[in-house]
Amino acid sequence: MKKWAWNKILYLCSAVTVAGLVSVMPGYSQDWASLKESFRNIQSVKAEFLQERHLQILKDPLISEGRFLYLVSGSLRWEYLSPLRSVMLQKGDSVRLYHFSEGAWKQDMTQAVEARRMVLAEMSQWFQGRFEESKIFSHVYSSGSPGRILLAPKEGINRFILGIEIVLSDRPGVIDRVEITEPGGSATRIAFRNVEINASLPSKLFDEP
Amino acid sequence: MNFREKLKTGLFTVLMLCAGCLSMPETALLPGAPEDLENCVALFPSGPWECVHKIEAVIQEGMSSSLLGITKGDPAGRKLHTLLLTPEGFILFEAEQHEDAISVLKAMAPFDSPAFARGLMEDVNLLFSPPQGRPSKLGKRADGALVCRWERPDGSRIEIALSTVPKISLRDRHGDLAKEALLMAPFVKGLASQMELRAYKPAPYRLMMTLLPGAS
Repeated sequence: MKKWAWNKILYLCSAVTVAGLVSVMPGYSQDWASLKESFRNIQSVKAEFLQERHLQILKDPLISEGRFLYLVSGSLRWEYLSPLRSVMLQKGDSVRLYHFSEGAWKQDMTQAVEARRMVLAEMSQWFQGRFEESKIFSHVYSSGSPGRILLAPKEGINRFILGIEIVLSDRPGVIDRVEITEPGGSATRIAFRNVEINASLPSKLFDEP
Repeated sequence: MNFREKLKTGLFTVLMLCAGCLSMPETALLPGAPEDLENCVALFPSGPWECVHKIEAVIQEGMSSSLLGITKGDPAGRKLHTLLLTPEGFILFEAEQHEDAISVLKAMAPFDSPAFARGLMEDVNLLFSPPQGRPSKLGKRADGALVCRWERPDGSRIEIALSTVPKISLRDRHGDLAKEALLMAPFVKGLASQMELRAYKPAPYRLMMTLLPGAS
């Protein structure tokens, strides 16, 4: 009886292990396939976000709030409402940055447009579930509640980012939060809220600040 | 325009340009009191501090950038630590200063030149650290503003003028105004809620800084 029970436990453990391994192999897991299907049904995303920037120099994280609009056709609006008001607009390959000052939007002269374009391109892929298309991250899917996608940086990027964890919401195809870990103990946590999927988003929201 | 007019215009332009190069004569000061130095130094935080600023940097009119600045200081240890971030939180520049030694920890292009690091740390020192040593002059201007003036070994000088809006100015060794900063009340834990720094030399720019609550 004891031997039978022990064998059963071993069997259950190995079954759980195999299931776990399958779940982290994209393309071979039913979960991954259904997750990809959920992402495929998304045409637009509208959400608010709360960003916590943890830095070694600060006792408390730097909190920023903003909103995010995304069209699968290739438009993205990433806007900070506080503590400073700025907006990044992407339409196709064009990325523009504005900040709000003295009652008006002003085009920002900050360079690093290329870096921003790269980040926006990555984010666009995340919101379409196209993790395997990333040129700078390899991914591992961990099913469970909540499901998580772990992005590991490829050579070069690991100087700036140690890893990214995308935590999925209970709602299919919706990202609940993104956690970015950097070398030196810094981290960024972006939590999305009031997420609306497939809402109608006028084109001018991606053209003008 | 005939030759005489052209010559007149040319001479006038040269005179105007030369006038721009002239250094300001030193303002005469009425004798001050022994506690004046304390009042000038009280413009800066005295104990360990940290702060976050919203910064609008204007290089030329119509060309500006919005950034976040984090600075931490320990006046007793003569230490400063500063970070410049994009609105998204990317670190563009990070440096530490212990006494006069500056260590750049991170610098992304175009903020990666030694001149930028020197200039930024000079701005941070001007805004947050009292000048070192005894002032060369203390006194009151005719308008009643208390003035403390320090001569530095390189011939430049720093002046703090405590009028309605306190002003810190830096003049180079020729006496030309290189930078000036206005510190606007209210002061929170020794830090001005608004600051405006105008740089004239070597390159002109303007920084408008707003202290963000909670981090000082």
